[in-house]
Amino acid sequence: MTTFLAVFRNEIGRLFSLRPVVSVVVLAAAIYAVFYPQPYLNEALRKVPIAVVDQDRTQTSRELARLVDATPDVAVADVLPDVPTAEREVYARSIFGILLIPQHFERDLLHGRPSPIALYADASYFLMYQRMSGAVTAVSRTLGTNFEITRLVGLGVDPPVAAAATDPMPFIAVPLFNPQGGYATYILPAAFVLILQQTLLIGVGLLGTLPGRLVPPAASVPRRFGDLAFASIATVAGKLLAYLTVEALIVTIYLVGLPYLYGIPRLGSVATILAFALPFTLAVGGLGLMVAATFRNPLAVQLVFAAIGLPFFFLAGFAWPTEAMPMAVRWLAQLLPSTFAIDGLVDVAQLGASLSDVRSEFLGLWLLAALYACIAVIIEFVNRRRAPSPALG
Amino acid sequence: MQRRDREWPGFALVFWRELAWLRRRPLLFMLTAVVPLGLMLLLTAILSAGLATRLPVAVLDLDGSELSRSIIRTVDATPDTATAVRVADLSEGRHLIVARKVRGLLLLPRNLERDVLAGRRPEVVFFYNTQTFTVGNLVLRGANSAIPAVAAGIRISLRTAEGEPVEEAQAAITPIPLQTHALFNSTLNYVHFLLAALLPAVLQTVVVTTMAYAVGIDVETRHRLVVLRRLGGGMLPAMFGKMLPYTILFLSMLGIADAVLFKYLELPLRGDPFLLVFAGIVFVLACQFIGALLALLLRPVAAAVSIATLLTAPAFGFMGIGFPRLGMNAFAYGYGELLPGTWYLMARIDQTIRGTPLDLSWRPVLVLIGFVAVLVGLTALRIRMMRGAVAEHAA
Repeated sequence: MTTFLAVFRNEIGRLFSLRPVVSVVVLAAAIYAVFYPQPYLNEALRKVPIAVVDQDRTQTSRELARLVDATPDVAVADVLPDVPTAEREVYARSIFGILLIPQHFERDLLHGRPSPIALYADASYFLMYQRMSGAVTAVSRTLGTNFEITRLVGLGVDPPVAAAATDPMPFIAVPLFNPQGGYATYILPAAFVLILQQTLLIGVGLLGTLPGRLVPPAASVPRRFGDLAFASIATVAGKLLAYLTVEALIVTIYLVGLPYLYGIPRLGSVATILAFALPFTLAVGGLGLMVAATFRNPLAVQLVFAAIGLPFFFLAGFAWPTEAMPMAVRWLAQLLPSTFAIDGLVDVAQLGASLSDVRSEFLGLWLLAALYACIAVIIEFVNRRRAPSPALG
Repeated sequence: MQRRDREWPGFALVFWRELAWLRRRPLLFMLTAVVPLGLMLLLTAILSAGLATRLPVAVLDLDGSELSRSIIRTVDATPDTATAVRVADLSEGRHLIVARKVRGLLLLPRNLERDVLAGRRPEVVFFYNTQTFTVGNLVLRGANSAIPAVAAGIRISLRTAEGEPVEEAQAAITPIPLQTHALFNSTLNYVHFLLAALLPAVLQTVVVTTMAYAVGIDVETRHRLVVLRRLGGGMLPAMFGKMLPYTILFLSMLGIADAVLFKYLELPLRGDPFLLVFAGIVFVLACQFIGALLALLLRPVAAAVSIATLLTAPAFGFMGIGFPRLGMNAFAYGYGELLPGTWYLMARIDQTIRGTPLDLSWRPVLVLIGFVAVLVGLTALRIRMMRGAVAEHAA
């Protein structure tokens, strides 16, 4: 128990006194909280600029262009004489799509012939493509349906019957969560979990490699197997508890405070979120001890982990579906706390899942925490045994 | 001219010294080769499929008619979606969505077929989850193409039942058919869109942090910096002799990544390969000098590396691939402007999938050249200032 308390106290003291550790665990976390969300704060991409190439120049073609411009997703930035001119503007990135309304658009429509239009949309940026094709598809469908109904009514069909004939089976798409399709709402909850993991992982890695670790007093170093094992367990437990104590506030801010400040809808209860965060923090702390044991040099920890966040994010199966990943990658992903934690915490916080809904992720995190803690104990044990015996020399 | 002659042997000296360092220091070698290759390989493995197809969708079929079965078959037949499970009620479907066992739920109401034929316009409802953005949009695309297709079939048969010829009916149901052409990435392949941009983004962080470290260990001891300049016989040759081994190494990493992208993942190369390589060189140089400048401005090395990480690790979001820069606030747009990666990715997209005409391709490349010029100038200025401080100290 004395070892446990001594390690706990020493580790907390070092966490706040070693400058590199403070700057990663506290300062970096604070800066990322403001810095990282900036690109996404507008939530939605609106008014993607497109050009209209109107070869028809009739009232109907202008009406079509006006309807497209009126959608929130797309803005008609320019009316250009031909497609090659417009294409150059796409290459120059001043517009991202071309709506081509061919000659005789209105005439064909009035004659009851199909009157096609074409959208050339830049697919080198998927979100822009999606906005443009969605908006123009909706407008062409609505306008087309209106024409079809008008024609049928003109042929003497009852208006309700005409409506049923043009749209016999309406399709309604209902987004269950994040109904506005906001980008910040999508990416920030997952990114916050990843930032927590990154800062704690590097922080613990630095703690384990910087000088000032608690060395057991030489005279009282126990040499018996049982004592050694007990001391190792106490040391690891003391460290993990220290990380948990310090992270308690940071985790709460990241998982509850920041989403609130950024206006991200939360369906789950704070208690459930924190209950889920407990094994996550322990697992990351344990993994951090492993990192420290592997690298033994604080700069190496910083440098190797600098760029690892991006691959870790995609491993989590959040931005890119797990179903599309190779099997080996899926197994590797299971070893990272972030994989379970992003799934579980997003489910709990944003989807309002209960702990029993995310049972498998919750247990998975405890399992990882146990696994990493055990390995950390073994490493500690081996290190202690290797330490030169002070009494006998 | 004479001076230049004297300088170049110095450049070689510094160059070889740096290479010897790289051989002797396993950490530097790991950072210049193992880490970037490992991370890029991991990302490639994750996204190698390029397209996410046949995402599982649950079905709640309360009708059990010929029509409902045909809707289910059509949804199953789209490339995006696969009808994986039948559920007994809505709450079961919702649970499956929350647990990510399925990505959407198709609800076919009771008496669907009867009501459609009677003109009562029953609704087919599709529930999906936009909390997972990409996947949610993919399954929606699948459902959105399948169900209107079935509806179109019904509309045609309603008309032909009235004696209208099939062709006329077909023409009549879509008065304004829309042909959508996806420019540049017609298959909407995520390898060509996302992976091709992620790899340089990872490299940007690796280059900036590694250079902060490699230059930092020279700066940390005053006397080493002096040694470096003496060896180089002048500041500029010393500077470039120090940088060049890393330029070559990092460019090789970029080259390996690109070789895999072009050869195995079929990334098109529609533009000018020379311009692409040139942009790559200027991009790596710009990243290197950012790292070097940080090392010259901040001490100890750990602080330089920390700030380098802080500036570049979250950079991918600012470069406007996932969420375009067009939609960003002024701060994010401005910060993106300052990242070499933003401009390199523009040049890269121009020369690979877009095949931008040469006269419209120069802007991002020129900006990168401008970056390098300014950064080299600042680095030289900073070294001069430090030399002044040393001279004062000596006096």
